[in-house]
Amino acid sequence: MKTHLSLLAAACGFAALAAAPASATGRMTCNAGPQSGWRTQAQLVERLTRQGWQVRRAKVDGGCYEVYGTTPQGDRVEAYFHPVTLRQLLVSRRGRVIFRARGH
Amino acid sequence: MPTPLRSLQNGKPLHWALLAVPAAHIVYRYFSEDVLPDDLVGPSGEWAARLIVLALMLTPLSILLPRARAIGWLVRRRRAFGVAAFCYALLHLALYAAEMESVRNVLAELPLPGIWTGWAALLLMLPLALTSNDSSMRALKRGWKKLHRLAYPAALLVLVHWIVVHNALIEALITFAPLALLESWRLARLFGPGRSRISPA
Repeated sequence: MKTHLSLLAAACGFAALAAAPASATGRMTCNAGPQSGWRTQAQLVERLTRQGWQVRRAKVDGGCYEVYGTTPQGDRVEAYFHPVTLRQLLVSRRGRVIFRARGH
Repeated sequence: MPTPLRSLQNGKPLHWALLAVPAAHIVYRYFSEDVLPDDLVGPSGEWAARLIVLALMLTPLSILLPRARAIGWLVRRRRAFGVAAFCYALLHLALYAAEMESVRNVLAELPLPGIWTGWAALLLMLPLALTSNDSSMRALKRGWKKLHRLAYPAALLVLVHWIVVHNALIEALITFAPLALLESWRLARLFGPGRSRISPA
């Protein structure tokens, strides 16, 4: 009976955790200093659009700029950029990493 | 004695209404907030996963607690949980299609491991949803239970789909942990030394 109870308690604990919505991705972190030194999201979006991207959404995630959009090649991706240099750090297509900057 | 409260509790409208609450919230957000379909693909899929996990947890839970009335209440409605999981999977697909904007884009992603595992899970769930009714149970007799064991590979595909497409090992494992725990207990009990009863499927 003791095993039953601890098993049930563990199952309930996980179930409670699972009921909370999943958030915070943390696939990439940028230690880019204070936001005053960052370039703006608009600058990033403008540059990407000029390169042929279609940007659906841009936001800050893990201190980086995270962009959801379509590459010039037509792949729907999630991409991370450094907020100071706007350097491309990671591009992932449905969980498959198609670009990763050296050292990241 | 049938009281109004008891008949409400046992009636179908109540549990279907409860099962529809997360969907209503997703649809509400779609129309009222500044969200893209992209933002709702995840939540709809998570609900499909939670419901399939819940449906599958009920067998080991009823072995563990054969006399618990709450478990009995849930077991009698297990088909509804399965059908609801399938409905959330369809909502998930509809939102994904809205995000992708064209059939061509959807097909272009099909070979990716994070994507085809989701399609495979949905396809496995289709015959289960279509036969989750009394007349199918009567027609299929013993075959019904066999057919509905497809829910286990479907759940496994859902888990892999979630982990791969979202790179989210922890969230996916947390959702599936109660089921994994109960199933390993069940297997240990079936094949372990202290076997006492033959358990139902």
